[in-house]
Amino acid sequence: MTGPVGPVAPRVIVVGIGSAYRRDDGAGAAVAEEVARACPGVTRLGPVTEPLDLLGLWDGADLVVVADAVRSGAEPGTVQIVELSEGAGAGVGSGGPPGTTSTHGIGLTGVLRLARAVGSAPRRVVVVGIEGEDFGNGTGLSAAVERAVPHAAGHVRELVDPAR
Amino acid sequence: MSHGSGARRTLSVEGLARVEGEGSLRVEVRDGVVEEVALSIFEPPRFFEALLSGRAAAEAPDITARVCGICPVAYQMSSCAAVEDAVGVRVDDRVTELRRLLYCGEWIESHALHVYLLHAPDFLGCADAVELAERDPGSVRRGLALKQAGNRVMETVGGRAVHPVNVRVGGFYRAPSRAAIAALAGPLERARDDALATVGWVAGFDFPDVEGVYRFVALRGDGRYPMESGRVASSEGIDVTAGEFLDRVVEEQVARSTALQARLDGALEYLTGPLARYALNADLLPETARRAAADAGLGPACANPFRSIVVRAVELVAACDEALRLVHGYEPPDPPAAPVRWRAGVGTGATEAPRGVLFHRYELDDDGLIGAARIVPPTSQNQLTIESDLRRVVQAGLELPDDELTWRCEQSVRNHDPCISCAAHFLDVSVVRR
Repeated sequence: MTGPVGPVAPRVIVVGIGSAYRRDDGAGAAVAEEVARACPGVTRLGPVTEPLDLLGLWDGADLVVVADAVRSGAEPGTVQIVELSEGAGAGVGSGGPPGTTSTHGIGLTGVLRLARAVGSAPRRVVVVGIEGEDFGNGTGLSAAVERAVPHAAGHVRELVDPAR
Repeated sequence: MSHGSGARRTLSVEGLARVEGEGSLRVEVRDGVVEEVALSIFEPPRFFEALLSGRAAAEAPDITARVCGICPVAYQMSSCAAVEDAVGVRVDDRVTELRRLLYCGEWIESHALHVYLLHAPDFLGCADAVELAERDPGSVRRGLALKQAGNRVMETVGGRAVHPVNVRVGGFYRAPSRAAIAALAGPLERARDDALATVGWVAGFDFPDVEGVYRFVALRGDGRYPMESGRVASSEGIDVTAGEFLDRVVEEQVARSTALQARLDGALEYLTGPLARYALNADLLPETARRAAADAGLGPACANPFRSIVVRAVELVAACDEALRLVHGYEPPDPPAAPVRWRAGVGTGATEAPRGVLFHRYELDDDGLIGAARIVPPTSQNQLTIESDLRRVVQAGLELPDDELTWRCEQSVRNHDPCISCAAHFLDVSVVRR
């Protein structure tokens, strides 16, 4: 038989994706931390470096806000908000090219499609991305990304409040 | 993609998915004969052995765990075993049992991932796990539940599901409470039922009729299916210690690969992993797993690499069953770790990672600092056999159109669940027919 083995999912989750040891890739975790501090009712998960790890953790939540560093060619520190709707293609935060599924390549959109197919997906998934500048080795965010963190966290709080 | 015509034919696939890491594959066929098969690994080299030089041996389990996000426990276990061998530490039986429970968690997590998300789509004509989930959500749900049961064991014993933080040379930083371990029983019972259903599911797949000729190498369990310890055995009768075996393994650098390729006695290819473990230890499987293997039509050994998915599923049953036994018999080790007195020495550790035997060898000085380190992961050992498999598969499938043959090649690589990140530490495919 099959059944959930983890605890019942909280209703609103904020999760940072990325590694704090790759400079601006730590932006997602920084945003999640700030949101968790400001919104006690929100459950912070992660940081998660592999979107596949979200399966089981986010099952059945009302809202999952995924904070991540992005590289889209925009000005460093630019905040982008993308709601992953049904049929979303490879969007912000997706790991490899669409359709690839290796443990190193399954992107957020792939994981969400998989979760929807098996009926465990959160009701809404919103990605909050901060354009990164420096993804080299080491800790610490670049100045532009550091400044953008409270701004991104503010957007997340706006998303979270109506849901509570 | 196909280039050329007539007697010379070129096929190429630019990207090989559903393996861990990055690499490529090139097959050349001339006048209907497979001339060359080259598995190229271009994942950047990771220099873990050099990284260990000068570090304290006590740090080695956590440093080497970072080699792999899928099998960190294997790295921690082989690392601890090597250090303990070097300094002469004998661990308490209760530590050994708790290590084995942690290892069961990793096997469940890794095998569930490979069987359901990486390998099963091959047999069901799905491009990937997402397509499989859309077609057969119930099966994928079962696979995810299994993986989560493994995660839960890892979290309870190791502190977290990826890169556990509770392992140290000599044992553990902290022994989990009896209550925390007892809480694993329910999820593991459900996982064992799911694992048994998995064996039935995969046994019904269509398998190409291909038999490999393998030199199997695996640990031989001491009265139980091998995981955390054992002597090294082979299908040709080798029965030696890990150190004695490693002395006979010669690794060579080839230009196309950032991973070393291992040969036994400098010449012979060999295969580690589920097929090898099963062939050399089927009699040691727990009764439930042995019955499941018989029901699935597995004999005492299996040489059809495509059926490795069945063996992996049987090992899932074994890992769940064994974990349950360990949960029911749990006695917290006290102290949680054996004391370690640093001294100069050389030690070798070998344990069964989900995808095959993983060797570590360290030379330590009087202060427990690592002078030299050698890590031989399963994928390095399996590379040559994977190439031989490809040669057989291409030769047997020459009448197939390019796209089908290429697909079968990719499948053939995935049969062995290679972890290129570990081996470089992998995969574009190109088949050239001339």
